[in-house]
Amino acid sequence: MDLILCAEQVCKSVATAAGELVILQGIDLAIKRGESVAIVGESGSGKTTLLGILAGLDLPTSGRVLLDGAELSALDEERRARVRAERVGFVFQNFQLLDSLTAIENVMLPAELRGDQDALQQARGFLSRVGLAERATHYPRQLSGGEQQRVAIARAFASRPLLLFADEPTGNLDTRTGARIADLLFEVNEATGATLVLVTHDVKLADRCQRKILLDAGRIAAQENALPEDAATNGAGAARR
Amino acid sequence: MNSTALAFRFLQRDWRSGELSLLAIALVLAVSTVAGIGLFVDRLQGALLAQSSEMLAADRVIASAEPTPDAWRAQAEALGLRTSATLGFTSMVFVRDTSQLVSVKAVDAHYPLRGVLIVADQPFVSGTPTRSGPARGEVWVDSRLVPALGIRLGDTVTVGVAQFTVRRVVISEPDRSGGFFALGPRLLMNVADVPRTQVVQPGSRVSYRLLLAGNESTLAQLQAALAPDLNARFRWQSVKDDSPMVGAALTKAQSFLLLGGLLGVLLSGIAVALAAHRYSARHFDHVAVLKTLGVGPAGIRSLYFRMLAMIGVSAISAGCVLGYGVHEAILVVLDRLVTVALPAPSFSPFLLAAGTGGICLAAFAVPPMLMLQSVSPMRVIRGDTAGDPRSLRLAYGAGALGLLALLLWYSRSLLLTGMILLGGIVIVASVLLVAWLMLRTTRAVGMQAGSAWRLAMAALRRRGLQNAVQIMVFSLAIMLLLVLTLVRTALLDDWRKQLPADAPNHFVMNILPEEVAPVQLMLRAETGVTLPLFPLIRGRLTSVNGVPLADWTAKHRDESAPAPPADNDRNLTFSNVLPGGNRIVAGSWWAADEQSDLVSLDEGMARSAGVKIGDQLRFSIVDRDIDVRVASLRKVDWDSMRPNFFMVFTPHVIKDLPATYLTSFYLAPTRKVFLNKFLVRFPTVSVLEVDALIDQVRSIVERVTAAIELVLGLVLVAGALVLVAAVLSSLDERVREHALLRTLGGSRRLISTALAAEFTTLGACAGLLAAVGAELSVYELETRVFELTSTLHPLLFIVGPLVGVVIIGAVGLIATRRVLTTPPVIVLRGS
Repeated sequence: MDLILCAEQVCKSVATAAGELVILQGIDLAIKRGESVAIVGESGSGKTTLLGILAGLDLPTSGRVLLDGAELSALDEERRARVRAERVGFVFQNFQLLDSLTAIENVMLPAELRGDQDALQQARGFLSRVGLAERATHYPRQLSGGEQQRVAIARAFASRPLLLFADEPTGNLDTRTGARIADLLFEVNEATGATLVLVTHDVKLADRCQRKILLDAGRIAAQENALPEDAATNGAGAARR
Repeated sequence: MNSTALAFRFLQRDWRSGELSLLAIALVLAVSTVAGIGLFVDRLQGALLAQSSEMLAADRVIASAEPTPDAWRAQAEALGLRTSATLGFTSMVFVRDTSQLVSVKAVDAHYPLRGVLIVADQPFVSGTPTRSGPARGEVWVDSRLVPALGIRLGDTVTVGVAQFTVRRVVISEPDRSGGFFALGPRLLMNVADVPRTQVVQPGSRVSYRLLLAGNESTLAQLQAALAPDLNARFRWQSVKDDSPMVGAALTKAQSFLLLGGLLGVLLSGIAVALAAHRYSARHFDHVAVLKTLGVGPAGIRSLYFRMLAMIGVSAISAGCVLGYGVHEAILVVLDRLVTVALPAPSFSPFLLAAGTGGICLAAFAVPPMLMLQSVSPMRVIRGDTAGDPRSLRLAYGAGALGLLALLLWYSRSLLLTGMILLGGIVIVASVLLVAWLMLRTTRAVGMQAGSAWRLAMAALRRRGLQNAVQIMVFSLAIMLLLVLTLVRTALLDDWRKQLPADAPNHFVMNILPEEVAPVQLMLRAETGVTLPLFPLIRGRLTSVNGVPLADWTAKHRDESAPAPPADNDRNLTFSNVLPGGNRIVAGSWWAADEQSDLVSLDEGMARSAGVKIGDQLRFSIVDRDIDVRVASLRKVDWDSMRPNFFMVFTPHVIKDLPATYLTSFYLAPTRKVFLNKFLVRFPTVSVLEVDALIDQVRSIVERVTAAIELVLGLVLVAGALVLVAAVLSSLDERVREHALLRTLGGSRRLISTALAAEFTTLGACAGLLAAVGAELSVYELETRVFELTSTLHPLLFIVGPLVGVVIIGAVGLIATRRVLTTPPVIVLRGS
């Protein structure tokens, strides 16, 4: 089996005034190259923390994470950054575009950081692919939420990722726009052949993934291809039914 | 990746979006303030020194009553100094059956070493400069001598037993002041002609001056080499010794410029720190996104360092150019005043400015940028993840160190730096405490007030610590501005008081007792005032408490006393009223009918001789020994143009001894001819004209004043920038909060009133604290550094808060106007 992402006994806890707070416990998962996986669960179940650890943005308190053969949990911040630069792309709920840059400049960033000479051409290509060629010189504040997320998707794919992490990509959008963004995300993902790891509340969006992982109180409660439709919203109880 | 190209691209984008402007402006201002002030002071100081040296006609003078040893002159020349020897004496000049007492100055071909001699072919005109003095066999005379002797150019006059041809009229000479021996109108001759006149005989009163000019280090070298032989007989003089008023003005101006430059740099430094902090705070999200895109801490560090280096190089270059422009512009404005050729600007002000820019950047901008490298990439998901607190401590630590380095570099004094640092810590701590208490009080008041005020006070309270820090920065900036303005005003007032427009510009000496009444009458007719006449008796102090003076002073002398030795012949006087401009500092002044044998001494001279109240002094006056007891010590204002005395006796002790009288008065330049009438009527009386000296002093003071005004202006700009930077540093949060309030239905009026209330409260608190701080600092500065009389400034407690309310209110409202004009949804979406 060609695995691109593995988590082994990943735990995360933080010290608080009230004592140690356990966020993730004994997470084991394996994701195949080219697979699309949705991580679902209630608010506070640890989805976002897990995404951060899987993507190498954060470190587990214990356990291992292997991304395309690189053991993230054993690398320092500098080397994890290199892994991200070479293999990972992100789409965030709040878009995370840089306010001071235009749409095209935001999309150019990954190519510029790689030192590509044709960053502008590449960015133009990605922007037209998300249908925003006309808005290239607009600043984020001049774009609607849907448009901003499209720019973010263009930027994510400009990273040429093997693995794309999306954190509630439609969470800030209305249903219709959300659906269009989801179409775009899956469409571009399919075209590039990247692996997609998605954190979402949106059942329909989760359903479009090949696999769903349900988190409950920091543990994996269920992990299967066909999950009952209400499990994502009703929590682990529903999943166990 | 090519970090430099990327950094450049990022920088361009930041510049375009306006993110960089404040940081760049602050930095440019810091550098241009230092470069501008540095260049201006460097060149003006050179010019002032050059011009002040003109008052000596040299850089240094060795003055004596006997010829200077030839070896000294040879030694000076061997060191590369230029030299010139002059001698001065009084003598009678005869033309046919007319005669006049003149003050002869004999000069060699090198005279003057500094300044110019101005001559003409007729009296009372403006004249033209000349390169050297009279040739052998000729004399040049004062304008006034021409009508007094009834002569014309080409006539022959007799000095002593030699005859001379009158060739030119002396309009002005650089070292005209020359003390009390310069009696009567000037007659200039060649030094080689002196023996021929046979006027100078052993025992004659002659003033020998060896003029020296050259660079400061060589002069110091010569002074050190001659030190063992320089004593009361041979006095080493610089312009500061020769003209205490100019010396004091220069020293005070230098202190002020130093203080102004220092405050300017500190303010710009604070502005750089605030701007850099805001810049880096706004880049937290930026960096977090870059990290998700795969840029590691080293990449972030390298990127931002390159950006900072680019900002630094551009801002420092722009600042140097701007500073040069500023100083050139000022020189153009001062063109009329700066008559001497300015020395070329040296490179050191640019070095100082660039160094200051570098230190500002390293201490104030680098640490906030360092915080960026530790920003967690999780911030993109969780927003609130802060940077490493160690970076923050590093930031404060580096800022404090940078500040210390700047202070030390500027003041070049560990003590002063320590004092300022300690003062700064005390001020910061107490202001923080008081500001916090004030904010608590405003909260209590706010609860009783209308909704806008309640909102404002709640906002102030919510960001309690942040606001306390902001008040501290505001009050520090306002305080520094108030301090500088007050010190400048006190300094200028002090100078103006010393040199009023009608300061006496003529001294009349050698008035015989029987001439006192008619002289007083004639002067009264001319000037309209009855002038006091002071009796003058020559005498010298010989012993203290029965011990010969030399032995006594060897044991008790206070080396630091700012007074000449007490063993020379002095002008003594008597009076039963305390002379004007004198202040008793020890003992008490005697009653009008005092019958004891008492003396009152100048405080400095008493210290110099080691004499205290109650000591018995013996004076040798004419051929008598007179014993008196020290009854009081006086602080004498030597800078005033009034007759001043080291020693004043009770009248009955010396009033019967042969005395001449002395007075001073003001005569407008247009009424100079009165002097001829006056001298015809009282031929034995001597008139000393000091208007040239007063004019010189006044023009130097005017120039120094202009320099001070300029520095004040630059510092005001720096201060204003700090205020803007401080308001902007908390702007984002305020804008978001008020946008939220608008979405909740807050009217524009409510929001604008709340904002106005918030900023004016901050301004008033800061202004009040600034007034207190300024009053204390000004007192310390005036009394310890500038030696001025300090007074209270009650107006400060109105002006301070008013300045705070107006400036901070205006800047705050202008800066936050987009809260009111931008649809709240845009602001909130941006957040």
